[in-house]
Amino acid sequence: MNERLQEEFPIEWEDDHFVTRREFFRFLTLASGGLALGTVAVAAYSKIPKGQRSFDPALICKVADLKPGTSLHFSFPRPSDLCLLICRKDGKYVAYSRRCTHLSCPVQYEVGDHVERLYCPCHNGAFSVDDGRVLQGPPPHPIPQLMLEQRGDEIWATGIKVGEEA
Amino acid sequence: MNTPEFYRRRQKAIVFLGLMLFALILFFIQIWLFVMTLENMLAGRTAMAVPGAIASLALFATNLWMLRGVQRLMKIN
Repeated sequence: MNERLQEEFPIEWEDDHFVTRREFFRFLTLASGGLALGTVAVAAYSKIPKGQRSFDPALICKVADLKPGTSLHFSFPRPSDLCLLICRKDGKYVAYSRRCTHLSCPVQYEVGDHVERLYCPCHNGAFSVDDGRVLQGPPPHPIPQLMLEQRGDEIWATGIKVGEEA
Repeated sequence: MNTPEFYRRRQKAIVFLGLMLFALILFFIQIWLFVMTLENMLAGRTAMAVPGAIASLALFATNLWMLRGVQRLMKIN
């Protein structure tokens, strides 16, 4: 019977290798070690302070171009990176990315008697103009803030502060 | 046929199988921990990264300890 079985299903038994339970257990432990190492690596990477990223400075506008309570659209560092320069009610200049951190809708500078914020009309999200933190709505992260430099009567963009966790 | 050796071997096989299944469960928990840590890291949430890594290391230590126990078990006649 066995001879007939081997004739009809010729398997090279000498070359075949069964995985024993011990080998499987060893392999499982090895894979467990690999996963632990991977988790530690991800945790270590997430703890690296991201800080800020510098780019080639770009001139945005002159100080006189913006009055308090107004804003200006510009692109930095690439043409596709939409940004917003804001001259706040108190005269300070801040700049943020225009892309909402929820689904990348362009945000607007909303200013009124009792309100001053970045507003996303798509899903009613809002960010603070102080530091870009989420004030309301579905955005999961603060909106990235740009680094500005005033050189004489010109305002230059010099980099981006990498966002912190919400 | 049913010698004490026969029962000892059968018991060892059952213990081995139980340990292996438990190790498999811990392995799946480790996969979940890894995926959760990675997802949170990509979303900018880093609060659970270190606790997740510690838990994963603890599970690996447990698996290693069980493997050593199994090897000792196999050596006992």
